[in-house]
Amino acid sequence: MKKVSIDPITRLEGHGKIEIFVDDNGEVANVYFQIPELRGFERFCVGRPVEELARITPRICGVCPEAHHMAAAKAIDACYGAEPTRTGKMLREILYNAFSAADHTTHFFVLAAPDFVVGPMADPAERNILGLIAKVGPEAGGKVIQMRAWSHELIEIIGGRSVHPVSTVPGGVSKPLSKEEAARVKEIADYQVEFAQFAIEIFNQVVLGNSEYVDLIMSDMYAHKTYYMGVVDENNKVNFYDGDIRVVDPDGKEFVKFAPDDYLQHITERVEPYSYLVYPYLTGVGWKGFVDGKDSGVYRAAPLARLNAADGMSTPLAQAEYERYFETLGGKPVHATLATHWARLVELLYAAERTQDLANDPDVTSTDIHSMPTGITGEGIGVVEAPRGTLYHHYKTDENGFVTACNLIVGTTNNNAAISMSLKKAAQGLIQPGGEISEGLLNEVEMAFRAYDPCFGCATHTLFGEMPLEVAVREQSTGEVLNTVRRFV
Amino acid sequence: MGKPKVAFFDFACCEGCQIEMTNYGAEPFLELLNHVEIVEFREAMTEKTTEPIDIAFIEGSFTRECDRARLEEIRERAAIVIAYGQCATTGGINALKNHQDDYKEYVYGTDSDMPHLDSQKAYGVDAAIKVDYYAYGCPVNKYEVLQIVLHLLHGKEPVIPNYPVCVECKRRETVCRFLEGDHCMGMVARAGCTAPCPAAGIPCEACRGFVDDPNIPALEKVLVEQAGFTPQRAHEKGRMFTANALEATS
Repeated sequence: MKKVSIDPITRLEGHGKIEIFVDDNGEVANVYFQIPELRGFERFCVGRPVEELARITPRICGVCPEAHHMAAAKAIDACYGAEPTRTGKMLREILYNAFSAADHTTHFFVLAAPDFVVGPMADPAERNILGLIAKVGPEAGGKVIQMRAWSHELIEIIGGRSVHPVSTVPGGVSKPLSKEEAARVKEIADYQVEFAQFAIEIFNQVVLGNSEYVDLIMSDMYAHKTYYMGVVDENNKVNFYDGDIRVVDPDGKEFVKFAPDDYLQHITERVEPYSYLVYPYLTGVGWKGFVDGKDSGVYRAAPLARLNAADGMSTPLAQAEYERYFETLGGKPVHATLATHWARLVELLYAAERTQDLANDPDVTSTDIHSMPTGITGEGIGVVEAPRGTLYHHYKTDENGFVTACNLIVGTTNNNAAISMSLKKAAQGLIQPGGEISEGLLNEVEMAFRAYDPCFGCATHTLFGEMPLEVAVREQSTGEVLNTVRRFV
Repeated sequence: MGKPKVAFFDFACCEGCQIEMTNYGAEPFLELLNHVEIVEFREAMTEKTTEPIDIAFIEGSFTRECDRARLEEIRERAAIVIAYGQCATTGGINALKNHQDDYKEYVYGTDSDMPHLDSQKAYGVDAAIKVDYYAYGCPVNKYEVLQIVLHLLHGKEPVIPNYPVCVECKRRETVCRFLEGDHCMGMVARAGCTAPCPAAGIPCEACRGFVDDPNIPALEKVLVEQAGFTPQRAHEKGRMFTANALEATS
């Protein structure tokens, strides 16, 4: 294979880029997915007082700042030996679940649903949120906008701000919830549950009601038998805010379950010569390249993986939906990448119910919102389930609490190897020798990518449903570009 | 005359400012669309790049020399350029790397000599092109952005605050962080955010940058005397969102 030398610095923008190489026979030889940008957070956090990291690291991502805020908060708790109070933890978890519900909403309705509702081969000008609203009616659009606006209002009530929240402190949060605020939080949580059920109804009608889409979801082209990772509570149920990390093998059997503090024993990060983004794999299995199966350390995270890695959901409506999901899709584990969209809606329902449960707890308005630091321990690891996968924040400090080392594994990074594999498999299945490489066809390739809801240094989200992405098809031996499709509004 | 054409572009950033703009709720958002036409969102340089724009919003830092040409092209097409968000106005949090030169080795270890893993210092976009208006903040205050657009639609000069966050804390009767035994940057930080952080019990980090002509020595003195900081920490405190401004004053 011709050596692929790519200098992303010369590329136009710092966003996701897919390169598909075809050989002399017109068959897909390889696919590369690149991240051409570096911002340097892990380095510039070093030297800062560790408590600032709860407000620096959210700036990694405007889409999921709450995830970084919470992972940082938990790592900082550990650095200060400050165990959160019950109410402090509840308020954090309410904020976090409300955010997870809002984020899943955005992904499903703005990024993913247009493919199914408007159709994968539709004109890109219609294959967006506006086309979606045209299909399902303006009322649905209004509900989505309200879901986003209200969820962010909740985040602002507890977090102080709606984007880049600030309110966690070592051992809890900085501000109690007033009775009036608690009433509003409850009202928003009720709406979230109602909205989640509405979202599942849309999915039933539009996707499950169409056998063509069900076949597409279940087709081998979009499947990989990998390991799956997710945070679980003490009953092995999905939990976004707290718990141990459980990994199941491609047969669905528990491979390992470990405490967040032990993550370095179980995950190794690998660098490839063409991307800024590392490729983590399971140390206990080893790196065998971009392949699936039991002998390959490639694992997946995020909704598909979390449902596979857990034994169920801790809330009743979500548990019922969880059971229907596995019954419909042929039992555990589900390997179909596109099933991630349904898994995401199961989680949306769970997050909303969890917010509702916590908001109804009488202790939610207690003023016992944080504990006091017991000293400086020198190290802290914080793990949460970000919408796009398990998020690890790991800090070390000196005796004064200044950061001396910082390592982050962000949600999407977990899926980096799997994304490349899924793209290659989809491209090989879709691009035929001599066939025309149309926009619609490349969109179907891209659907393999979109299911992961990738968020590369916050690079792949934009308004109105179009990821800023360039797909280039090149001749393998010469590197000549045969076709390029760029996505933007 | 048709509706003014508005376009959005982004460079090195987290896109939180775009997200903030989606949180208006239905009414203001749809109403705004009655008055402006959003013609482009990002990556617009790849196709029809010659169409003139009335207002160009630019998000993100200028951190790669290769982005200069793209910025110049936007400037050429746009009657008004608004830098929005702290990355675009001052370099923002990205500028935290500007005083370090080993971040590549730090992030990638022994793999760091791979040629593509390069990056440069981060500045506001006015390091490359002329900017007409600045919408500060990490993220922007969406209502302030709305005000800026409304003023421009009416042919008025937008009013960008040049007073400190302390003013806004007084207005909403927030108890001073220093009286709570904490520290704060509010006395030199540019207002316009309505001071939500001190109201939530968290010190102001000056995410909108400094006011014009901040008294940095006085800030450092207060941080040392009132908050018990070491002189070095007091000096570095301001770096979080204002690294470039700090560089310029020291």
